[in-house]
Amino acid sequence: MASLITCPHCGTRPKEEFSIRGTALARPHPAASEEDWHAYVYLRENPKGRYQEYWHHAGGCRRFLIVERDNVTHDVFSVVDAVAIRGMSE
Amino acid sequence: MSLTLFHRHVLEDYLAGFEAKANPNHLSVIRRPAIFSVLAHRGSEVLVEDGLKSIESIQLRNCAPGEWLVVSTTSGASTIENLLGEIAGASAVDQSDSRVLLQISGPNVRKILAKCVAVDLHADAFAIGASANMLCCHVAANLARTGADTFEITVPRSFAGSVFEEMMEMGREFALTAAFAD
Ligand SMILES: [Zn+2]
Repeated sequence: MASLITCPHCGTRPKEEFSIRGTALARPHPAASEEDWHAYVYLRENPKGRYQEYWHHAGGCRRFLIVERDNVTHDVFSVVDAVAIRGMSE
Repeated sequence: MSLTLFHRHVLEDYLAGFEAKANPNHLSVIRRPAIFSVLAHRGSEVLVEDGLKSIESIQLRNCAPGEWLVVSTTSGASTIENLLGEIAGASAVDQSDSRVLLQISGPNVRKILAKCVAVDLHADAFAIGASANMLCCHVAANLARTGADTFEITVPRSFAGSVFEEMMEMGREFALTAAFAD
């Protein structure tokens, strides 16, 4: 069930505590081309199935999380703090 | 021109019509608690938590990694501010005027709170001393267990009326009463 999300800091919480902030995309380099930035800001794949989204735990710890879930079956595979991908983009 | 300032609690009007006698299930509004939010600088989380735990006149509430609410009903805000200022690697902001502190207790308190929050409050999952940010009556609040049947809720001041009314509604079947904790 997608209605319960297990926050790594707060435990299992209802989806009402969260605000979904869209696909978790890697931020382009500041000097990246205009096309790359345009794609990052405006273009989304809207996939069916398993993908990663930013979820903001607005009613709890107020941390940005990355939720990997299936938007067809509503299975949640993992929830991690968004700080976990910081090393990848830096 | 002389100016006289009165401290008027935001729930003053909400509590005006209540009976003075408290029932077993009772919600008490703490009039002037000192409440601070404390953030640890990156890398100082453990040291700041240890520093906060060593202060005796405060109660510590967990909000997020490296973020706490500090509540005191015995010391004033300026005393707490000085104590917090001695902790290295921490930033503290006085929130006493921005939060309202409610204390709810009684034999049916968990049945009442089950209708207010979506978190498991069984003693095995949420023991005495536990605290966390969560939605309480649709408002982002902090809930702490201070006793087997006693919980404290810290809510943003401008939402306090709404939270108070909803909690009283949820407590009606258990004859919940409310008053200031004078
Ligand atoms: Zn959380």
